[in-house]
Amino acid sequence: MTWFSLLVLIPLTAIVATSAERGWSGYVDTITNDQTMAAIQLTVGQAALVTGVNIVMGTLIAWVLVRDRFFGKRILDVVIDIPFALPTIVAGLVLLGLYGNNSPIGLDWAYTDRAVMLALAFVTLPFIVRTVQPVLEELDHDVEEAAASLGASRLTIFRRIILPSLVPAITAGAALSFARAIAEYGSLVLLSGNKPFSTEVVSVRVLSFIENGSTASAAAVASLMLAVALVVIVVLDVIQRRVSRRG
Amino acid sequence: MSIEVTNVTKKYGDFHALDDVSVSLPTGQLTALLGPSGGGKSTLLRIIAGLDTADSGTVAIEGTNATKLPPQKRNVGFVFQHYAVFKHMTVAKNVAFGLEIRKTPKAEVKRRVGELLELVHLSQFADRLPSQLSGGQRQRMALARALAVEPTVLLLDEPFGALDAKVRKELREWLRRLHDEVHVTTVFVTHDQEEAMEVADEIVVINQGRVEQVGSPDELYDEPANDFVMGFLGEVTRLGPVRLRPHDVDVSVEPGRAGSFPGRITRLLRVGFEVRLQVELDPEVASGAEPVSVVLPRSHARGLDLELGSRVWLTAAVGAVTVPAMVAV
Ligand SMILES: Nc1ncnc2c1ncn2[C@@H]1O[C@H](COP(=O)(O)OP(=O)(O)O)[C@@H](O)[C@H]1O
Ligand SMILES: [Mg+2]
Repeated sequence: MTWFSLLVLIPLTAIVATSAERGWSGYVDTITNDQTMAAIQLTVGQAALVTGVNIVMGTLIAWVLVRDRFFGKRILDVVIDIPFALPTIVAGLVLLGLYGNNSPIGLDWAYTDRAVMLALAFVTLPFIVRTVQPVLEELDHDVEEAAASLGASRLTIFRRIILPSLVPAITAGAALSFARAIAEYGSLVLLSGNKPFSTEVVSVRVLSFIENGSTASAAAVASLMLAVALVVIVVLDVIQRRVSRRG
Repeated sequence: MSIEVTNVTKKYGDFHALDDVSVSLPTGQLTALLGPSGGGKSTLLRIIAGLDTADSGTVAIEGTNATKLPPQKRNVGFVFQHYAVFKHMTVAKNVAFGLEIRKTPKAEVKRRVGELLELVHLSQFADRLPSQLSGGQRQRMALARALAVEPTVLLLDEPFGALDAKVRKELREWLRRLHDEVHVTTVFVTHDQEEAMEVADEIVVINQGRVEQVGSPDELYDEPANDFVMGFLGEVTRLGPVRLRPHDVDVSVEPGRAGSFPGRITRLLRVGFEVRLQVELDPEVASGAEPVSVVLPRSHARGLDLELGSRVWLTAAVGAVTVPAMVAV
């Protein structure tokens, strides 16, 4: 508990305290500033979008890794972890190389909100794959066979038997993926170009507040993002309870 | 015939899990597939259910050729050794699963589930999750779930194998009574000869991918087709040129009977109402042979005044089941 307080609670409290320095109206002013609002909207929107994509793609990739047999599966299994292993700024460079002005594949997405999404998708992909994969591996094959002999089609088996067992893992992965996405900095600064009102994300905005010496504003935005993250985690948890109880 | 398996072969690599197996199981009976572990019992059961496919041969269920049908279309109830419960559903939901898939009206589902839970004595647990049940209760739930869809045949793979001895015994008696009530054609796999003898109308003995013998428990016990069946269905011992059951050895304390084997009692053990002897035969009649095991009622042993070291003469009892002993090594 002490460890947890030291690591998590005290810094969080400090942020909230700092953000309160300029009082409620100061707080509201900072948050409702147009440029800040745009950054928050972009970040939360893209993070939600990317998390949604990850829920589908991550589950699919985990499924393929566990259930299918194909050439190069072991390699794919290792490749999935690269976004985890890569220092984020290196990831940013890789993405800039691939999707920047001199894109070898002809996709010049630099300085667009697609760039933000791409960078977020890249760094958050492993979360759901890696939370779902072990659960899928542990699933009891008998259970699917029992359902099949009771007349359930493959789709019904997936929907009514497999998916409910995966939901806790999927939501845990989604929460991690969302939290990481709203905080991401390194991998997207290069590719996104940080254009105010268009590709500037919250973490960049917070940094510029700090560079301008306005710690209180930075803390205000940070505390709002904290609240967003909390709300999302709670909502995901509620959804998870609903879905896995329903059957 | 309810289930007709014809010339089924199943190979894993070069290994024959089933080697040209044919059996027919009559409607309404309770049949046991009995044999040692690894003999191919589960493989055969899974092929009947469509969970595995045979390399060659056919399976017909109630006259319909089911060889190519997927498990969904076979209308077979399957019960697994480790219960295969749907963890996230309540007991009632588990049982209702097959009915809901068939789009049965809600009220009808409710009524059927109620009946089935009654049948397996789980009514008061309807709203629990499977994790809150004991092993025996989970298996009864799995049975109700399989019965819910009114299967043509009910297949059980070592259904009591994961339970402790006491519960296992209770459940096997209960299965017998349930079958007498429900009358669905039932096949269950077991490696426990006592379980098969106690519960089944008919036993199919399977060993190394082949059917060794098919018959009622009495037939198998009294007229084993070969050495393997004889050995698998009960204790056997060797007396001279034949193998027979220890309780089919007659003991006399005087010589005289034709073809009797003289020997000396080297062990004597009282177990409940019976006495178990080990008799070492004299070297001139059987040099180097294993001691003969003999079982006789306690009163009989007392009458003969048997003690450790007594000299006795052994013969095969009149009417004893014997098979020729395999060539001595
Ligand atoms: N999927 C499989 N792959 C390879 N060998 C298998 C497979 N399933 C069963 N076998 C082999 O087939 C033989 C029969 O198995 P099984 O039918 O499970 O026996 P039983 O149920 O009588 O114990 C065993 O030797 C087993 O190792
Ligand atoms: Mg088996």
